[in-house]
Amino acid sequence: MKVRVDPDSCQGHTLCAMTAPDLFELSDIDGHASAVTEDVPADQETLAKEAARTCPEQAIILF
Amino acid sequence: MTIDDAHTENLAAADTDRLIKKIQLNRHSDRYREDFEELATEFHSKCPVAWNTEHGGYWFVSGNKELFDIARRADVLSNENDPDEVKRGYWGISIPPPQRRPGQPIGGFLEMDPPEQRHYRQALNPYLSPAAVARWQPVIDEITRASIDETIESGRIDFVDDLANIVPAVLTMAMLGMPLADWVVHCEPSHASVYTRPDSPDIMRVFQQMMEARANTAAWIQKIRESPRPGLIDGLINSEINGAPPSDNDVLGAVGLLIGGGFDTTTALTAHALEWLSENPGERERLSREWDTLRDSATEEFLRFYTPAVGDGRTIQIDAEIDGVRFKEGERLWLSWAMANRDETVFEDPHTVHLDRKGNRHSSFGLGIHRCIGSNVARATFKTMIRHVLNRMPDFVCDPDGAVHYDSTGVINGMKHLPATFTPGPRIGAGLDETIERMQTICDEQRLAEPITVHKGRAELID
Repeated sequence: MKVRVDPDSCQGHTLCAMTAPDLFELSDIDGHASAVTEDVPADQETLAKEAARTCPEQAIILF
Repeated sequence: MTIDDAHTENLAAADTDRLIKKIQLNRHSDRYREDFEELATEFHSKCPVAWNTEHGGYWFVSGNKELFDIARRADVLSNENDPDEVKRGYWGISIPPPQRRPGQPIGGFLEMDPPEQRHYRQALNPYLSPAAVARWQPVIDEITRASIDETIESGRIDFVDDLANIVPAVLTMAMLGMPLADWVVHCEPSHASVYTRPDSPDIMRVFQQMMEARANTAAWIQKIRESPRPGLIDGLINSEINGAPPSDNDVLGAVGLLIGGGFDTTTALTAHALEWLSENPGERERLSREWDTLRDSATEEFLRFYTPAVGDGRTIQIDAEIDGVRFKEGERLWLSWAMANRDETVFEDPHTVHLDRKGNRHSSFGLGIHRCIGSNVARATFKTMIRHVLNRMPDFVCDPDGAVHYDSTGVINGMKHLPATFTPGPRIGAGLDETIERMQTICDEQRLAEPITVHKGRAELID
């Protein structure tokens, strides 16, 4: 599983980093999220799906 | 019957091809407040986008999918408030609009569109990002500790007056770069201006108080202009909006937005959460016991369930069709964050608080480009206040007879008073006035209100 945050959709709600702190990091400047790495470790896949489901802007892309 | 059964009736004679479901709902009425859950459920099933005939007529969006599809369309929606009628004469985010007086500031960048709105946010984000807010945590803890110390020995507290009104207000002053002690000037008008019904005889008195608070803000903007000190006001003064610095009036509008947003909303959320925890002592004990695992999900659930800012108005700026509804330029529209948060197609058992709710995709901070810029401040302040109360007043019981909810929940769903009793405990530090003075010194000496781009260090509570 791979993960990406669409920077045009992300508005910095920060819920992804709250849900899966090892997968997402937030900009110090505006709190917008990005994936720490594109590859999701096998044991983090459930959390990745949960973060994607939780995102208010639906900005998290799993592929 | 809420919904016009003859919903094929047309909105206007010229709109013969538009099938519109009509409702008649005054959001400032008792009915809206008291029958909120029934109305939300009814709207979701029958008219997730309806035409509300109240207040001059406006679209009322309550369905979660529809809200998601519409709220993020910055190309279709405008937040513009143009009281001087030099642009399109739109009416901003309030429905009904507040009294319009030429020359008065608008509601800051929340009543602007890009690119100006984006420029304001770019200037202010470095003061309000998660990393920026984390620097303030020791200060938030201290103000909360001192507020609780003021009542801890008595066994009685009003959670609104003695805690939830104070902490967000003092912190907002600090972040703005205004004197912390001036929170009292802004406290009453910030709350009264949202809970007083527009048709109340009290509205002019509230308006007068608001004017006095605004004069205090304007004076501080001037002082900071002449003698710079760090904070959001300094950030606004030095920002570049479309290549030019904002006018005094525009800075005033932006500061008014930050004060309004910073004060009343977190107060509302905290009061409602504490009231719920008092009514559900088993869940309160669980939250306290499992704080580290439940803290975040409980916070998001209280945000969803008690959505403090219940909605926002917009104006349609181009003709467009979204989810089968055809909108026309100039029409007004209300995004009901609060009702969308109760849509059972997204939230299982939507009218019940589940502290461990997963996938809580609520829209309590709004959606799209106008997402609440203070959301990180709100969360940090809320969590701090709840944690201190759970630690120091674990057996608190709210008095339902003394609890006073807002007369109108048309703008903010909040509480005026929430008295409670608890087993008294010992003070552990200085009182509120002394603590505010000490925090002022720490703010000034450590330049805490600088943006994260200038100052990364966390506040240090040195004696």
